[in-house]
Amino acid sequence: MAQLDPSKIDRPVPALLKYYIITALLTGPLSVIVILPLFFKYETLRYRFDSEGMSMSWGILLRREIYLTYRRIQDIHLTRNIIQRWLGLATISVQTASGSASPEVSIEGILEVDALRDFLYTKMRGAREHHEEEQAVPPADEALLLLREIRDLLRHRGQSGQRT
Amino acid sequence: MTRNVERTAAWMYRGVWGVLTRWFRVPEHPPSLPALPGEELQSFKPSEGFLRYLKLQFWLAFAVTLGAIVVAWVFVTAARPWIGASLTPVLALVGIAQLVFGYLAIHLRYDTTWYVLSQRSLRIRSGIWTISEATITFENIQNVTVESGPIERFFNIANVIVDTAGGSSGGGEHGGKSAKNLHRGVLAGVSNADEVRRLILSRLSLSKVTGLGDESLIPANAWKTEHLAALREIRDALVE
Repeated sequence: MAQLDPSKIDRPVPALLKYYIITALLTGPLSVIVILPLFFKYETLRYRFDSEGMSMSWGILLRREIYLTYRRIQDIHLTRNIIQRWLGLATISVQTASGSASPEVSIEGILEVDALRDFLYTKMRGAREHHEEEQAVPPADEALLLLREIRDLLRHRGQSGQRT
Repeated sequence: MTRNVERTAAWMYRGVWGVLTRWFRVPEHPPSLPALPGEELQSFKPSEGFLRYLKLQFWLAFAVTLGAIVVAWVFVTAARPWIGASLTPVLALVGIAQLVFGYLAIHLRYDTTWYVLSQRSLRIRSGIWTISEATITFENIQNVTVESGPIERFFNIANVIVDTAGGSSGGGEHGGKSAKNLHRGVLAGVSNADEVRRLILSRLSLSKVTGLGDESLIPANAWKTEHLAALREIRDALVE
Protein backbone atom coordinates (compact mmCIF):
# COMPACT_ATOMS: atom_id res chain seq x y z
CA MET A 1 0.00 0.00 0.00
CA ALA A 2 1.37 3.38 -0.96
CA GLN A 3 2.26 5.66 1.89
CA LEU A 4 -0.11 8.56 2.14
CA ASP A 5 0.65 11.91 3.67
CA PRO A 6 -2.78 13.35 4.50
CA SER A 7 -1.36 16.78 5.22
CA LYS A 8 -0.66 17.07 1.50
CA ILE A 9 -4.33 16.63 0.62
CA ASP A 10 -5.83 19.96 -0.23
CA ARG A 11 -8.08 19.88 -3.28
CA PRO A 12 -10.31 17.10 -4.63
CA VAL A 13 -9.11 15.44 -7.81
CA PRO A 14 -10.61 16.48 -11.18
CA ALA A 15 -12.38 13.13 -11.40
CA LEU A 16 -14.79 14.46 -8.79
CA LEU A 17 -16.00 17.10 -11.23
CA LYS A 18 -16.57 14.35 -13.79
CA TYR A 19 -18.55 12.44 -11.19
CA TYR A 20 -20.63 15.50 -10.34
CA ILE A 21 -21.36 16.11 -14.03
CA ILE A 22 -22.47 12.50 -14.51
CA THR A 23 -24.75 12.56 -11.47
CA ALA A 24 -26.20 15.87 -12.66
CA LEU A 25 -26.83 14.47 -16.13
CA LEU A 26 -28.66 11.53 -14.60
CA THR A 27 -31.30 13.89 -13.24
CA GLY A 28 -32.35 14.58 -16.83
CA PRO A 29 -33.87 17.98 -17.59
CA LEU A 30 -32.98 19.28 -14.14
CA SER A 31 -29.28 18.83 -14.74
CA VAL A 32 -28.72 22.49 -15.69
CA ILE A 33 -29.88 23.54 -12.24
CA VAL A 34 -28.28 20.66 -10.38
CA ILE A 35 -24.87 21.13 -11.94
CA LEU A 36 -24.33 24.68 -10.64
CA PRO A 37 -24.09 24.04 -6.89
CA LEU A 38 -22.09 20.89 -7.54
CA PHE A 39 -19.66 22.78 -9.77
CA PHE A 40 -19.17 25.51 -7.17
CA LYS A 41 -18.79 22.91 -4.47
CA TYR A 42 -16.05 21.27 -6.49
CA GLU A 43 -14.35 24.60 -7.15
CA THR A 44 -14.37 25.75 -3.54
CA LEU A 45 -13.82 22.43 -1.76
CA ARG A 46 -10.73 22.45 0.43
CA TYR A 47 -9.42 19.84 2.84
CA ARG A 48 -6.90 20.15 5.59
CA PHE A 49 -5.59 17.26 7.66
CA ASP A 50 -3.36 18.00 10.60
CA SER A 51 -2.12 15.89 13.46
CA GLU A 52 -5.19 16.41 15.66
CA GLY A 53 -8.10 16.79 13.32
CA MET A 54 -9.34 17.62 9.91
CA SER A 55 -11.28 20.43 8.35
CA MET A 56 -13.26 20.74 5.20
CA SER A 57 -14.70 23.91 3.71
CA TRP A 58 -16.79 24.72 0.70
CA GLY A 59 -19.43 27.11 -0.58
CA ILE A 60 -19.60 30.39 -2.42
CA LEU A 61 -22.65 32.19 -1.06
CA LEU A 62 -23.05 30.18 2.08
CA ARG A 63 -19.60 29.22 3.25
CA ARG A 64 -19.25 26.23 5.45
CA GLU A 65 -16.19 25.13 7.26
CA ILE A 66 -16.32 22.09 9.48
CA TYR A 67 -13.62 20.96 11.84
CA LEU A 68 -13.48 17.75 13.77
CA THR A 69 -10.87 16.03 15.88
CA TYR A 70 -9.96 12.47 15.01
CA ARG A 71 -10.51 11.23 18.54
CA ARG A 72 -14.18 12.16 18.41
CA ILE A 73 -14.86 10.00 15.40
CA GLN A 74 -17.51 7.41 16.15
CA ASP A 75 -17.61 5.46 12.93
CA ILE A 76 -16.23 5.64 9.43
CA HIS A 77 -18.28 4.64 6.43
CA LEU A 78 -16.83 4.12 3.01
CA THR A 79 -19.32 3.95 0.17
CA ARG A 80 -18.69 3.64 -3.52
CA ASN A 81 -21.43 3.44 -6.05
CA ILE A 82 -20.91 2.12 -9.50
CA ILE A 83 -20.02 5.46 -11.13
CA GLN A 84 -17.57 6.24 -8.37
CA ARG A 85 -15.95 2.83 -8.82
CA TRP A 86 -15.47 3.47 -12.51
CA LEU A 87 -13.80 6.78 -11.75
CA GLY A 88 -11.78 5.35 -8.88
CA LEU A 89 -13.53 7.55 -6.34
CA ALA A 90 -15.34 6.90 -3.08
CA THR A 91 -17.05 8.77 -0.30
CA ILE A 92 -15.71 8.53 3.22
CA SER A 93 -18.40 9.55 5.68
CA VAL A 94 -17.12 10.35 9.12
CA GLN A 95 -19.48 10.54 12.06
CA THR A 96 -19.16 11.93 15.54
CA ALA A 97 -21.58 11.38 18.39
CA SER A 98 -23.77 14.34 17.48
CA GLY A 99 -27.36 13.45 16.81
CA SER A 100 -27.64 14.24 13.15
CA ALA A 101 -28.64 11.41 10.89
CA SER A 102 -26.49 12.59 8.02
CA PRO A 103 -22.74 12.23 8.39
CA GLU A 104 -20.81 15.18 9.75
CA VAL A 105 -18.16 15.06 7.08
CA SER A 106 -18.29 13.42 3.67
CA ILE A 107 -14.86 13.33 2.12
CA GLU A 108 -15.15 13.04 -1.63
CA GLY A 109 -12.76 13.25 -4.50
CA ILE A 110 -9.73 11.55 -3.00
CA LEU A 111 -8.10 8.80 -4.98
CA GLU A 112 -6.22 7.18 -2.08
CA VAL A 113 -9.42 6.42 -0.19
CA ASP A 114 -8.26 3.20 1.41
CA ALA A 115 -5.08 4.76 2.73
CA LEU A 116 -6.95 7.81 3.98
CA ARG A 117 -9.53 5.65 5.71
CA ASP A 118 -6.83 3.62 7.37
CA PHE A 119 -5.20 6.85 8.49
CA LEU A 120 -8.47 8.06 10.04
CA TYR A 121 -9.02 4.64 11.57
CA THR A 122 -5.66 4.56 13.30
CA LYS A 123 -6.34 8.02 14.69
CA MET A 124 -9.78 7.27 16.05
CA ARG A 125 -10.45 6.24 19.60
CA GLY A 126 -10.01 2.60 20.37
CA ALA A 127 -7.83 1.77 17.42
CA ARG A 128 -4.70 2.03 19.56
CA GLU A 129 -4.04 1.31 23.19
CA HIS A 130 -3.89 4.81 24.58
CA HIS A 131 -4.22 4.17 28.31
CA GLU A 132 -0.98 2.33 28.77
CA GLU A 133 1.23 5.38 29.03
CA GLU A 134 -1.31 7.08 31.29
CA GLN A 135 -1.48 4.20 33.72
CA ALA A 136 2.17 4.38 34.64
CA VAL A 137 2.61 7.35 36.96
CA PRO A 138 4.44 10.08 35.13
CA PRO A 139 7.53 11.32 36.97
CA ALA A 140 6.10 14.80 37.24
CA ASP A 141 2.97 13.81 39.17
CA GLU A 142 2.32 16.88 41.25
CA ALA A 143 0.05 15.25 43.81
CA LEU A 144 2.57 12.51 44.48
CA LEU A 145 5.44 14.99 44.82
CA LEU A 146 3.40 17.06 47.26
CA LEU A 147 2.52 14.02 49.34
CA ARG A 148 6.15 12.97 49.53
CA GLU A 149 7.12 16.50 50.53
CA ILE A 150 4.54 16.51 53.33
CA ARG A 151 5.78 13.11 54.48
CA ASP A 152 9.35 14.31 54.61
CA LEU A 153 8.36 17.47 56.46
CA LEU A 154 6.42 15.45 59.03
CA ARG A 155 9.30 13.04 59.51
CA HIS A 156 11.70 15.90 59.88
CA ARG A 157 9.47 17.65 62.40
CA GLY A 158 8.97 14.40 64.34
CA GLN A 159 12.72 13.87 64.57
CA SER A 160 13.47 17.44 65.71
CA GLY A 161 10.60 17.25 68.23
CA GLN A 162 12.15 14.11 69.81
CA ARG A 163 15.52 15.81 70.10
CA THR A 164 14.33 18.84 72.09
CA MET B 1 -30.53 -33.84 -14.78
CA THR B 2 -30.60 -31.64 -11.68
CA ARG B 3 -26.82 -31.91 -11.43
CA ASN B 4 -26.53 -30.60 -14.96
CA VAL B 5 -28.84 -27.72 -14.11
CA GLU B 6 -26.81 -26.96 -11.03
CA ARG B 7 -23.56 -27.06 -12.94
CA THR B 8 -24.93 -24.74 -15.61
CA ALA B 9 -26.23 -22.37 -12.93
CA ALA B 10 -22.86 -22.32 -11.17
CA TRP B 11 -21.09 -21.71 -14.47
CA MET B 12 -23.43 -18.86 -15.36
CA TYR B 13 -23.03 -17.41 -11.90
CA ARG B 14 -19.26 -17.39 -12.27
CA GLY B 15 -19.72 -15.53 -15.53
CA VAL B 16 -21.86 -12.93 -13.80
CA TRP B 17 -19.18 -12.59 -11.14
CA GLY B 18 -16.54 -12.08 -13.77
CA VAL B 19 -18.57 -9.32 -15.38
CA LEU B 20 -19.18 -7.71 -12.01
CA THR B 21 -15.57 -7.73 -10.93
CA ARG B 22 -14.26 -6.59 -14.31
CA TRP B 23 -16.84 -4.09 -15.48
CA PHE B 24 -18.50 -3.02 -12.29
CA ARG B 25 -15.35 -3.05 -10.18
CA VAL B 26 -16.78 -5.19 -7.43
CA PRO B 27 -13.83 -6.12 -5.20
CA GLU B 28 -13.07 -9.82 -5.36
CA HIS B 29 -11.35 -10.11 -2.02
CA PRO B 30 -12.83 -9.77 1.43
CA PRO B 31 -12.11 -6.50 3.20
CA SER B 32 -9.36 -6.28 5.75
CA LEU B 33 -8.54 -4.01 8.64
CA PRO B 34 -5.27 -2.34 9.48
CA ALA B 35 -4.03 -4.58 12.27
CA LEU B 36 -1.33 -4.12 14.82
CA PRO B 37 1.45 -6.68 14.69
CA GLY B 38 0.31 -9.87 16.35
CA GLU B 39 -3.32 -8.92 16.09
CA GLU B 40 -5.48 -11.54 14.47
CA LEU B 41 -8.22 -10.78 12.02
CA GLN B 42 -11.33 -12.86 11.74
CA SER B 43 -13.29 -12.39 8.57
CA PHE B 44 -16.42 -14.32 7.86
CA LYS B 45 -19.61 -14.29 5.86
CA PRO B 46 -23.18 -14.76 6.99
CA SER B 47 -23.95 -18.40 7.63
CA GLU B 48 -25.39 -20.73 5.03
CA GLY B 49 -28.66 -20.52 6.89
CA PHE B 50 -28.91 -16.86 5.93
CA LEU B 51 -28.86 -17.85 2.26
CA ARG B 52 -31.65 -20.35 2.85
CA TYR B 53 -33.55 -17.76 4.87
CA LEU B 54 -33.34 -15.21 2.04
CA LYS B 55 -34.47 -17.85 -0.45
CA LEU B 56 -37.43 -18.80 1.70
CA GLN B 57 -38.39 -15.14 1.96
CA PHE B 58 -38.10 -14.87 -1.81
CA TRP B 59 -40.23 -17.98 -2.38
CA LEU B 60 -42.95 -16.70 -0.06
CA ALA B 61 -43.11 -13.38 -1.90
CA PHE B 62 -42.96 -15.21 -5.22
CA ALA B 63 -45.80 -17.54 -4.23
CA VAL B 64 -47.99 -14.61 -3.20
CA THR B 65 -47.46 -12.72 -6.47
CA LEU B 66 -47.82 -15.91 -8.47
CA GLY B 67 -51.12 -16.66 -6.72
CA ALA B 68 -52.42 -13.17 -7.47
CA ILE B 69 -51.37 -13.43 -11.11
CA VAL B 70 -52.96 -16.88 -11.52
CA VAL B 71 -56.24 -15.66 -10.03
CA ALA B 72 -56.25 -12.65 -12.36
CA TRP B 73 -55.38 -14.91 -15.29
CA VAL B 74 -58.25 -17.27 -14.49
CA PHE B 75 -60.72 -14.39 -14.48
CA VAL B 76 -59.37 -12.98 -17.73
CA THR B 77 -59.45 -16.38 -19.41
CA ALA B 78 -62.99 -17.00 -18.23
CA ALA B 79 -64.12 -13.70 -19.72
CA ARG B 80 -62.02 -13.61 -22.90
CA PRO B 81 -60.35 -16.97 -23.57
CA TRP B 82 -58.16 -15.72 -26.45
CA ILE B 83 -56.60 -12.92 -24.34
CA GLY B 84 -55.86 -15.42 -21.61
CA ALA B 85 -54.27 -17.82 -24.06
CA SER B 86 -52.01 -15.19 -25.58
CA LEU B 87 -51.01 -13.90 -22.14
CA THR B 88 -49.84 -17.31 -20.95
CA PRO B 89 -46.36 -17.34 -22.57
CA VAL B 90 -45.73 -13.72 -21.51
CA LEU B 91 -46.62 -14.51 -17.90
CA ALA B 92 -44.49 -17.64 -17.94
CA LEU B 93 -41.51 -15.64 -19.21
CA VAL B 94 -42.01 -12.96 -16.57
CA GLY B 95 -42.19 -15.62 -13.88
CA ILE B 96 -39.00 -17.31 -15.04
CA ALA B 97 -37.17 -13.98 -15.28
CA GLN B 98 -38.29 -13.13 -11.77
CA LEU B 99 -36.95 -16.45 -10.52
CA VAL B 100 -33.59 -16.05 -12.23
CA PHE B 101 -33.07 -12.46 -11.13
CA GLY B 102 -34.30 -13.15 -7.64
CA TYR B 103 -31.86 -16.00 -7.16
CA LEU B 104 -29.08 -13.99 -8.74
CA ALA B 105 -29.74 -11.04 -6.45
CA ILE B 106 -29.84 -13.26 -3.36
CA HIS B 107 -26.59 -15.01 -4.21
CA LEU B 108 -24.85 -11.76 -5.08
CA ARG B 109 -26.05 -10.15 -1.89
CA TYR B 110 -24.77 -13.12 0.08
CA ASP B 111 -21.44 -13.20 -1.68
CA THR B 112 -20.77 -9.48 -1.31
CA THR B 113 -21.47 -9.40 2.42
CA TRP B 114 -18.42 -9.68 4.63
CA TYR B 115 -17.77 -9.14 8.31
CA VAL B 116 -14.28 -8.57 9.67
CA LEU B 117 -13.49 -8.57 13.37
CA SER B 118 -10.17 -7.56 14.82
CA GLN B 119 -9.19 -7.20 18.45
CA ARG B 120 -10.28 -3.58 18.41
CA SER B 121 -12.81 -2.99 15.73
CA LEU B 122 -15.18 -4.44 13.22
CA ARG B 123 -15.81 -3.75 9.59
CA ILE B 124 -18.93 -4.62 7.64
CA ARG B 125 -19.06 -4.64 3.87
CA SER B 126 -22.25 -5.06 1.90
CA GLY B 127 -23.88 -4.03 -1.32
CA ILE B 128 -23.53 -4.61 -5.03
CA TRP B 129 -24.35 -1.33 -6.77
CA THR B 130 -23.30 0.82 -3.89
CA ILE B 131 -20.69 -0.96 -1.86
CA SER B 132 -20.57 0.35 1.65
CA GLU B 133 -18.03 -0.46 4.31
CA ALA B 134 -18.61 0.57 7.89
CA THR B 135 -15.77 0.63 10.40
CA ILE B 136 -16.55 0.84 14.11
CA THR B 137 -14.11 0.45 16.98
CA PHE B 138 -15.38 -1.59 19.94
CA GLU B 139 -14.54 1.29 22.23
CA ASN B 140 -17.21 3.42 20.57
CA ILE B 141 -19.97 0.84 20.81
CA GLN B 142 -22.78 1.76 23.18
CA ASN B 143 -24.88 -1.38 23.07
CA VAL B 144 -25.10 -4.72 21.35
CA THR B 145 -28.39 -6.30 20.34
CA VAL B 146 -29.00 -9.82 19.15
CA GLU B 147 -32.33 -10.33 17.47
CA SER B 148 -33.91 -13.14 15.52
CA GLY B 149 -37.38 -13.86 14.23
CA PRO B 150 -39.05 -17.26 14.30
CA ILE B 151 -37.96 -18.16 10.78
CA GLU B 152 -34.44 -16.97 11.49
CA ARG B 153 -34.35 -19.15 14.60
CA PHE B 154 -35.49 -22.08 12.49
CA PHE B 155 -32.45 -21.53 10.29
CA ASN B 156 -30.31 -21.06 13.38
CA ILE B 157 -29.24 -17.53 12.54
CA ALA B 158 -29.53 -14.15 14.23
CA ASN B 159 -28.66 -10.53 13.59
CA VAL B 160 -26.07 -8.85 15.77
CA ILE B 161 -26.66 -5.10 15.89
CA VAL B 162 -24.14 -2.71 17.35
CA ASP B 163 -24.97 0.92 18.03
CA THR B 164 -22.64 3.82 18.56
CA ALA B 165 -23.52 7.08 20.24
CA GLY B 166 -25.69 9.65 18.56
CA GLY B 167 -27.89 7.63 16.28
CA SER B 168 -31.13 9.29 15.31
CA SER B 169 -32.67 8.71 11.95
CA GLY B 170 -36.16 7.72 12.92
CA GLY B 171 -35.25 4.07 12.83
CA GLY B 172 -37.26 3.56 15.98
CA GLU B 173 -36.72 0.84 18.49
CA HIS B 174 -34.16 -1.54 17.05
CA GLY B 175 -36.37 -1.58 14.01
CA GLY B 176 -33.61 -3.07 12.01
CA LYS B 177 -32.24 -3.09 8.57
CA SER B 178 -34.54 -0.76 6.66
CA ALA B 179 -33.60 2.39 8.53
CA LYS B 180 -30.49 4.02 7.12
CA ASN B 181 -28.92 4.59 10.46
CA LEU B 182 -25.25 5.30 10.08
CA HIS B 183 -24.62 4.96 13.79
CA ARG B 184 -25.39 1.28 13.57
CA GLY B 185 -23.69 -1.77 12.26
CA VAL B 186 -25.73 -4.86 11.45
CA LEU B 187 -24.13 -8.25 11.20
CA ALA B 188 -27.07 -9.96 9.55
CA GLY B 189 -27.56 -13.71 9.51
CA VAL B 190 -24.66 -14.99 11.58
CA SER B 191 -24.88 -18.44 13.12
CA ASN B 192 -22.53 -17.73 16.03
CA ALA B 193 -24.34 -14.61 17.24
CA ASP B 194 -23.71 -15.32 20.91
CA GLU B 195 -20.03 -15.81 20.31
CA VAL B 196 -19.79 -12.55 18.39
CA ARG B 197 -21.70 -10.72 21.08
CA ARG B 198 -19.52 -12.17 23.82
CA LEU B 199 -16.40 -11.14 21.93
CA ILE B 200 -17.65 -7.58 21.44
CA LEU B 201 -18.83 -7.26 25.03
CA SER B 202 -15.59 -8.60 26.42
CA ARG B 203 -13.69 -6.02 24.42
CA LEU B 204 -16.18 -3.40 25.56
CA SER B 205 -15.77 -4.19 29.23
CA LEU B 206 -12.00 -3.76 28.93
CA SER B 207 -12.51 -0.19 27.88
CA LYS B 208 -12.79 2.29 30.72
CA VAL B 209 -14.43 5.08 28.80
CA THR B 210 -18.03 5.52 27.78
CA GLY B 211 -17.22 6.09 24.18
CA LEU B 212 -18.11 9.76 24.22
CA GLY B 213 -14.66 11.23 24.17
CA ASP B 214 -14.28 11.68 27.93
CA GLU B 215 -11.11 9.72 28.54
CA SER B 216 -9.18 12.79 29.65
CA LEU B 217 -11.25 12.73 32.88
CA ILE B 218 -10.03 9.38 34.01
CA PRO B 219 -6.42 9.74 35.14
CA ALA B 220 -6.98 13.11 36.85
CA ASN B 221 -8.79 11.92 39.99
CA ALA B 222 -7.45 8.42 40.25
CA TRP B 223 -5.37 7.46 43.29
CA LYS B 224 -2.56 5.22 42.22
CA THR B 225 -0.69 2.80 44.44
CA GLU B 226 2.17 5.28 44.73
CA HIS B 227 -0.17 7.91 46.14
CA LEU B 228 -1.60 5.47 48.66
CA ALA B 229 1.87 4.41 49.71
CA ALA B 230 2.86 8.03 50.28
CA LEU B 231 -0.32 8.61 52.32
CA ARG B 232 0.43 5.57 54.51
CA GLU B 233 3.90 6.86 55.09
CA ILE B 234 2.46 10.22 56.18
CA ARG B 235 0.17 8.43 58.61
CA ASP B 236 3.04 6.45 59.98
CA ALA B 237 5.09 9.61 60.32
CA LEU B 238 2.25 11.18 62.32
CA VAL B 239 1.86 8.14 64.55
CA GLU B 240 5.54 8.11 65.51
